[in-house]
Amino acid sequence: MPPTMPLLRSIARIPSRQTPLPVLDFLAPRTIAIPHRQISPPSSSLSSRHHSTASTTTNSTNNTNPNSTPSPAPKYPSMRSPLTPEQSSFLDSALRVNQAGELAAVLIYASQTPPLIRAHPNLRPLMKHMYDQEAGHFQYFNALIAKHRVRPTAMYPVWHAAASVLGWGTAVMGREAAMACTEAVETEIGSHYNEQVRVLLDWAEKMEGRGEEVSAEFKGMVGELRRIRDEELEHLDHAVENDAKGARPYELLTNVIRGGCRTAIWITERV
Amino acid sequence: MAPIRLSKSVFGTLRVKPNHTLPIRQRCLYHSYEHDQPPPFPEAESSILSAAMRHVPDHGFTNAALKFGARDAGYLDVSTNLLPRGVFDLINYHLVTQRLALKDSVQFPTEGQVEGKAMGVGAKVRALTLARLRANGPIIHRWQEALAIMAQPTYAPASVAELARLADEIWFLAADTSVDSSWYTKRASLSALYAASDVFMTQDTSKDFIETEQFFDARLKDVSRMGSFMGAVGEWVGYTGHSAVNVLRSKGVRI
Repeated sequence: MPPTMPLLRSIARIPSRQTPLPVLDFLAPRTIAIPHRQISPPSSSLSSRHHSTASTTTNSTNNTNPNSTPSPAPKYPSMRSPLTPEQSSFLDSALRVNQAGELAAVLIYASQTPPLIRAHPNLRPLMKHMYDQEAGHFQYFNALIAKHRVRPTAMYPVWHAAASVLGWGTAVMGREAAMACTEAVETEIGSHYNEQVRVLLDWAEKMEGRGEEVSAEFKGMVGELRRIRDEELEHLDHAVENDAKGARPYELLTNVIRGGCRTAIWITERV
Repeated sequence: MAPIRLSKSVFGTLRVKPNHTLPIRQRCLYHSYEHDQPPPFPEAESSILSAAMRHVPDHGFTNAALKFGARDAGYLDVSTNLLPRGVFDLINYHLVTQRLALKDSVQFPTEGQVEGKAMGVGAKVRALTLARLRANGPIIHRWQEALAIMAQPTYAPASVAELARLADEIWFLAADTSVDSSWYTKRASLSALYAASDVFMTQDTSKDFIETEQFFDARLKDVSRMGSFMGAVGEWVGYTGHSAVNVLRSKGVRI
């Protein structure tokens, strides 16, 4: 008894000193309302409300609140912790950029192919190989963003037109320019994928640190991103083998294209 | 000792709140299947608002309904101050819970099990939209005042955002997988259709809202006719362009 006596006294003192205290009980009904209700006798004007409050607080101590039955708060027993807003917005913009990037890649190769293989028929198998790989990547990201409800970029028609013009324009400038375009684009895209893989692996490490199992969703995504990055870098090697460095204003061309890529990525992350 | 605990719990509540409401405000973020989804409303808000919704048929979307709801949930009248936007929070609660209820209230037969033709995306969208409209049925006599509040300049952006989320939810549940520009046109046209039908329904006195259904079907037909016309135009332009380029290439023009 002795240790509880000062506590009881201090609680009993509160209503006499501060009359507006009950106002606060909606903010924290569980922690402070219970002793307060049990000790102070209900005043006449507030009696009905006090009873109802006391009944809910006793119920909520058992973690069964009858009034929240229609509340849409699902409680899965042993799920992973929810993604933070930063994580979901990172994935949102990253996947949107990936889809737009693959769209552009498919269109660049598609519009480069006819003028290029007309002048250099020996490049036909290489162009077909690269195009097929990009089409596969594009399909993968289309399925992924539809599944995860990521908004596609609003600039879709703009990137569609820009990529077609870029591919066709560089192909008309010749084999070296076309390959320099491939080199510039794949360099940017490769480093972009690298960044994403790094972030995802970092999250996976933190999840394991918290004792949670890394979701198959993430594992699959990291695996696919690595495979796609490796294929993009393989295209980069093919471009360099095919005299990409021999393009006439090499520095100017690659820097303009790389700058354009970075701008497009920046815009696509946002809209 | 009591004041310390008190202030801790007060600030704790204040701190926790934005974290809970943040995911609702953001649009169409990455949807994970293997991670918990945070609940759309904090527990206290949800218990007050769900109790208040039961008073809406009698008292409308008013502060009175909120007050009665708070009493029913065992809170003081003044606890409605927890809801900074007052009555609009009640309307928003209705919109959000009905949107999230769609995925359980409308079930489609899984493919292969049903004999005959499987349900197309269009039929699914129609079924989902009508189900959502019908969910306003019990409070339809109070819905006009809610629409008036939603149209207030302060709340209009939030209302439009919620309408967009509803359209997104319906297309997602209808298993639509388009991820190009039509993602936007589909959601915009469904939003317009839904908003028009919603307003029409407040005037509808027919049995079981059969006139609203007819109104919606007529608008849907208009939109799909318009959509297929635009699609045909696009296809024709693309085909003609490609043919022209190929004809020029076959004549030896270096393009």
